[in-house]
Amino acid sequence: MTAPMLEIDNLTKRFGGLVALDHVTLDFEPDVLHAIIGPNGAGKTTLFNTISGMLKSDSGTVRFRGTDISGMAPHRISRLGMSRSLQIKSVFDSMTVAENLWIAAQARQGVMHPFASRSRFGRTAERVDEVLEQTGLSGLRSVPAGTLSYGDVALLEIGIALATGPSLLLLDEPICGMGPAETAATVEKIRHLAESVDIIVIEHDMPVVFDLADRITVMAQGGILARGAPDEIANNAAVREAYLGEEEDDEDDPDA
Amino acid sequence: MKARIDRTVLLAVVALLIVAPWILQAVEHEFWLDILAEVLIWSLFAASVNVLFGYAGLLSFGQALFFGMGMFGVAIGIAKLGLGFWPALGLGMAVAVGTAAITGALAVRLTWHYFAIITVVFSLIFYFIALSAKPLTGGDDGTSFVMPAMLEAGEFELSLTDQTVQYFFILAVVAAAYFVKFLIVRSPFGMALMAVRENDVRASLIGLNVYFLRWSAFVIAGAFAGLAGCLFAMFGRYASATYMFYHVSGEGVVWTIIGGAGTLFGPVVGTALLIVVREELSNMWEHYPILVGIVVILTVIFAPKGLMGFWNALLDRLSQRPADRAAGEAPPQEEDAAAAPVPREGRP
Repeated sequence: MTAPMLEIDNLTKRFGGLVALDHVTLDFEPDVLHAIIGPNGAGKTTLFNTISGMLKSDSGTVRFRGTDISGMAPHRISRLGMSRSLQIKSVFDSMTVAENLWIAAQARQGVMHPFASRSRFGRTAERVDEVLEQTGLSGLRSVPAGTLSYGDVALLEIGIALATGPSLLLLDEPICGMGPAETAATVEKIRHLAESVDIIVIEHDMPVVFDLADRITVMAQGGILARGAPDEIANNAAVREAYLGEEEDDEDDPDA
Repeated sequence: MKARIDRTVLLAVVALLIVAPWILQAVEHEFWLDILAEVLIWSLFAASVNVLFGYAGLLSFGQALFFGMGMFGVAIGIAKLGLGFWPALGLGMAVAVGTAAITGALAVRLTWHYFAIITVVFSLIFYFIALSAKPLTGGDDGTSFVMPAMLEAGEFELSLTDQTVQYFFILAVVAAAYFVKFLIVRSPFGMALMAVRENDVRASLIGLNVYFLRWSAFVIAGAFAGLAGCLFAMFGRYASATYMFYHVSGEGVVWTIIGGAGTLFGPVVGTALLIVVREELSNMWEHYPILVGIVVILTVIFAPKGLMGFWNALLDRLSQRPADRAAGEAPPQEEDAAAAPVPREGRP
């Protein structure tokens, strides 16, 4: 068995009296497409927020490819090669699609040159073209991100995360807000990306998760309920009872 | 086409500024040369507001603090320490930038109205310190000084006491500062600032150090305001705590918003317009600031990108081919696209 790329040990996060993450211990091995599922409030997004440095955990450690990243600032974690998309889509609205990707690709370099013209950074421009190609946004490169359709913003969101050149991509509900055709296309793109980048995806759409993921982690009430291959999860009695048995659409997910 | 019109207009304005002393002499309005110099200095001050508000998204009502620091650095350097022209300028800049580096380290921990409030608080603190430190600053009376020569070589002496020399010195410094601002805005650093302005959470997740970027913008803005203060002290041979008051900061904000925050030359346009309005109207009508207030409100509602935003949208409509502009080459200040709907192309 290969060494895990992401090791989460005893991670706890409380919001006042609410325990959002309750001593979570998890390993993610590389070269496998992981999905995290669970009812709303299970702690999935809190887990991503804590891993990526947006929230400080109350206790526990996170190790990314052997480096302890617990308590590290988000920008430093990002420069180590972990990139993420956000559940509530947020891009740089007044900048064009290409500029959104450009700054993400350049940010990885650390220090920002204050005087040189942006056109002098050829490698960054190449990276932007690559990502435009990968996300299928080439036709929209000069369009301000704020005027994109919701589905295209979701793609740009993935593109921004990708442009930083990550080795691990955390996707938080990447197809949220997409129509059926866009969903199918995006699932294909994610599958394709997974060949070169490690991916952990949070997703509510069960058919998509079971189609896409190699390994599924089920969270409930801040803890881990079950882990395994899709067919194992589908047949797991505890999961069926706690989660799959419920009507998926009863969550207050506006676009479910 | 748009870029060409912009370049033509810019060259025309620069050419006019260069020949202004002779034109004004010919029409016997030399008095306006000093007003022009004042417009240039204050538009550099407005550039300081613009770097923070227009590009980094931080609304400061405390830029007058650094303007005042530059003023006192020059005045105290010359009057109390007996420094020459250039060392005094250096002292003014060092004091302004140093103050910005220290206050900025605290201020940029906050954003939005908290940031605006702390900048006011800082400028008030230093305002009262400057008023009470009478031996150093002259208190209410301020500090005046005799202008040392800028350049002395044997018989030859170049000094700001010559109105034309003074004008050209100010023009050269302000033009150089705007060129630096242009370089910054066009650089990766400038784009990083805009990313922070647009969405700081997203910016930190792609690896940008949001705190450091905001602090850097604060120090750069402090340097611009400080440089404007140095020039203004040399222009008036005088430094006074009055210029550290947040009224002055507020004027910089008004000029920037009317001209166009987040555009390279917006602050110049706004400053020029409002100072000319002040010169022309204040004699006739003492309540002219009411008019300024109305214009600000109308601008914020109807032209959030100010006069420059209006100009950009107009040129876009005239040229009608916004999609022609290659994305990478479009200067970031041309965020006019939000005003002019861009035709969507289908993706393959």
